[in-house]
Amino acid sequence: MVITKKFLLLLTINCALCAILCGCTSTYPGDKIRESIVKICKQEYKSDVLVETTGRTMVIYLPLSNLMDFSFALTKEASEKINDVIFSAARVALSTDARINFYCVIAHDIKMPELQIIIIKSVEDVKRLFANDISRGEYMKRMLIDLRWSPQAKKEQVVKEVFSRMNLDPKWQDQVMTDFFKSEPTSLGDIGYWDNKFYIKDITVPEFLAEQIANRVKLEFREGKILKETFLLKSARGVYILRKGKHLFRFDIFAERSTYGTAGTIEDSDKIFETVLSIAAHVIHGYHFKDYDGVEVFDQKEGRSIEVNPEELEAFRTKKLRLNEIGV
Amino acid sequence: MIPRKWKMYIKMYWVKLAIVAAILSVIVLAVVGLNSLESYYRNITLATMPVNLLMVALNAVIFVFMYMTFMKGGFSKLSNKLRVHGDFVDVKWSDVIGMENVKEEAMEVVQLIKDRARVKKIGGKILRGILMFGPPGCGKTYLAKAIATEAGMPFVSMSGSEFVEIFVGVGAARVRGLFKKARELAYGYGGCIIFIDELDAIARKRVFSAFGGTEETNSTQNQLLAEMDGLQEIKDKHGNPSPEQNVIVIGATNAPEDTIDRALRRPGRFDRIVYIEKPGLEDREKLFTYYLSKVEADKSLDVSRLARKAVYKSPADIENIVKEAALVATKNGRDKVILEDVSEAMERIDIGLKRKLKMTPHEREATACHEAGHAVVLYILHPTNDVFKISIIPRKDTLGVTYSQPKEELYSHTKDKLLADIKVDLAGYVSEKMRFGVTSTGVSGDFKDAMRIAHFMVWSLGMSDAGFLGDYTVIPESQISEDMKEKLNEETDKIFKQCIKEVEELLLKEKPILERLISELLSKEELEYDEVEAIFNEFGKTHIKSAW
Repeated sequence: MVITKKFLLLLTINCALCAILCGCTSTYPGDKIRESIVKICKQEYKSDVLVETTGRTMVIYLPLSNLMDFSFALTKEASEKINDVIFSAARVALSTDARINFYCVIAHDIKMPELQIIIIKSVEDVKRLFANDISRGEYMKRMLIDLRWSPQAKKEQVVKEVFSRMNLDPKWQDQVMTDFFKSEPTSLGDIGYWDNKFYIKDITVPEFLAEQIANRVKLEFREGKILKETFLLKSARGVYILRKGKHLFRFDIFAERSTYGTAGTIEDSDKIFETVLSIAAHVIHGYHFKDYDGVEVFDQKEGRSIEVNPEELEAFRTKKLRLNEIGV
Repeated sequence: MIPRKWKMYIKMYWVKLAIVAAILSVIVLAVVGLNSLESYYRNITLATMPVNLLMVALNAVIFVFMYMTFMKGGFSKLSNKLRVHGDFVDVKWSDVIGMENVKEEAMEVVQLIKDRARVKKIGGKILRGILMFGPPGCGKTYLAKAIATEAGMPFVSMSGSEFVEIFVGVGAARVRGLFKKARELAYGYGGCIIFIDELDAIARKRVFSAFGGTEETNSTQNQLLAEMDGLQEIKDKHGNPSPEQNVIVIGATNAPEDTIDRALRRPGRFDRIVYIEKPGLEDREKLFTYYLSKVEADKSLDVSRLARKAVYKSPADIENIVKEAALVATKNGRDKVILEDVSEAMERIDIGLKRKLKMTPHEREATACHEAGHAVVLYILHPTNDVFKISIIPRKDTLGVTYSQPKEELYSHTKDKLLADIKVDLAGYVSEKMRFGVTSTGVSGDFKDAMRIAHFMVWSLGMSDAGFLGDYTVIPESQISEDMKEKLNEETDKIFKQCIKEVEELLLKEKPILERLISELLSKEELEYDEVEAIFNEFGKTHIKSAW
């Protein structure tokens, strides 16, 4: 017979193999990541960007002409541009053979470069979103977004003020400024773009998690019904530190009773601990992160703190332990 | 210029070709589409492809199941009986064992098929069909395949029952489909052989209703007649009949010739009628030699003895006997088939496997008495048959058996032989009555056979003493007078009673042999040919059979 079943089967297998083999090469080679992003942004979104990489972190700088409107909200145009750049970065990060764990987009208004939007994303989160492993809401919570005054701009302002007030010889100002800015960023808060220069660091998973937990705590205190009515969160800061040979997630929370003049209580403090620990447990578990020895929460208002080890945190997450059983 | 074979392939397989082309296009488009994706999306797509394919397949299965269950009345409709494959078979003349006469006839047919042009040139009629009659298992299909191989033509085969459906017009459509396929193959290969097995399913005499309605088989057969007449030929591009397609139809049936519609048997349809008989002694020897060569058999095995024993066996029976013998040899722990294995296999097939039935002592004795009666009459009176075995071990639906075979195949029977058959049948009854005074239900089968033969002798063969000649069964019953019926039945009864009387006399006369056989059977349960022979010889009886 002219067309046998075996022949058809062979043909199909061949085609399938071709299809599989053509999927083996990466679209964006590791040594051409920067060019790739610049090209995509330029050709597809008409945006001029600058790209820098360090370690497994990729940073994209996006200058905009109209970042915010009168209400301090992002303009629609700026928002679209930022989204386009984020999407371009994700495409390249996903389809490259270079190992990229995080990508960061720094956007600022060219008329006011001191005010910057920093967006940090984990590539793993993007992959999990595509695989429907996490919801879009969870994905949004995992993204770090910060609108802040550039730390480098702050430093420059300080130096200039010192020279001005103390009537120092201005010819040394540049020298001092250069020395002052030599130090590389050590935390996520130091990341930025200033005066045509990137200030970046290789983002690690624990510091990303610490920052994310702090952000989520802020969000919870802002949107959680009971917390919103009970507390006024002044600050929430999260870091990943090494203390006495132990790797700890440390969270400093400063929250006051929202009703004016009301003094804080032990119960209030426990509520803060419970909130922070449950968020920390959820996030750490969500990333399957194991490389830590404990979580410490410090209530700055009451001066109380709590430290839990990973086993206790897991038991707390699964509701096998209550807060009073951990021991404050 | 596209060669004829390619044209044929395109005509025959255009649906498949179109499907393959569509599948290839889809695959090419898929590969191009995948290549245009970025590697991550490509990998995700490829990774999810097996699951997607599985889901699509699952959906399709569920859809088809529901559609067939709720809309079409089940999966029976799914089986596509119209699927016809034209294959080249590889059965040579040398593979067709025995049947020398038939083979000669078939070779002549092959020659006619091959020399079609020459036959036409001298104005001869072109062969359209061959109809083979013969008992089942005699190699009709095999012969048809050998004809196809020798003629170098593709072979399209369908069973008559495949045309039969309860839906009106389906059978005729299948005939059209079959011939269409065959003509396409003939177009490419210069000829094609259609083989329709069990032709009687569609070729029975047609029934014409007084109300104008016809049976479904009528329309199927009408279509077959039309196709065989060559009216449905492939037309060329100008609408003219293309050069004649060399399509030969070979039909095979084991139904009697007169059950096949005459229109099919006339020249121009099935021109040649080939009668295939069961193999003769020589052919059986060849068949045993052939099939024993396929198993590990003892070299000293006497195939001529086996062939003599296997009277009236078809080639399929002989093949089955050898296969069974191999199983028996294995069961008996032998690595070669010996004569005893073949004998046992033959008995297993002919008289059945032994049953472990617990009989009462009286039942055993009655059975021994019954079988001994058969054996004595058979040995002494029967002109053609030998006693091969007497047994009182239950087999099939009997409690005992007297296994006899003719020495050679007989194609007609004398009055003596028929009377002997009746006497052998009645001997069991007489023997029981002589010994016990009463008889058992074991005689029912014997009486039925005996009465049938006696009735046949009187009503059909003119073998009564009263001189009623002719076959009274062809006369419609209403046209035979009651008086005549009575007379005929009296003659039947006379034969019956006369036979009983003669058997009684014989058994009384040979009572010592009868008693000896009964006691031997009760002690041994089974007596083989040699043992039976020895007992009769002991009483001075020799068994001289002669086929008249």
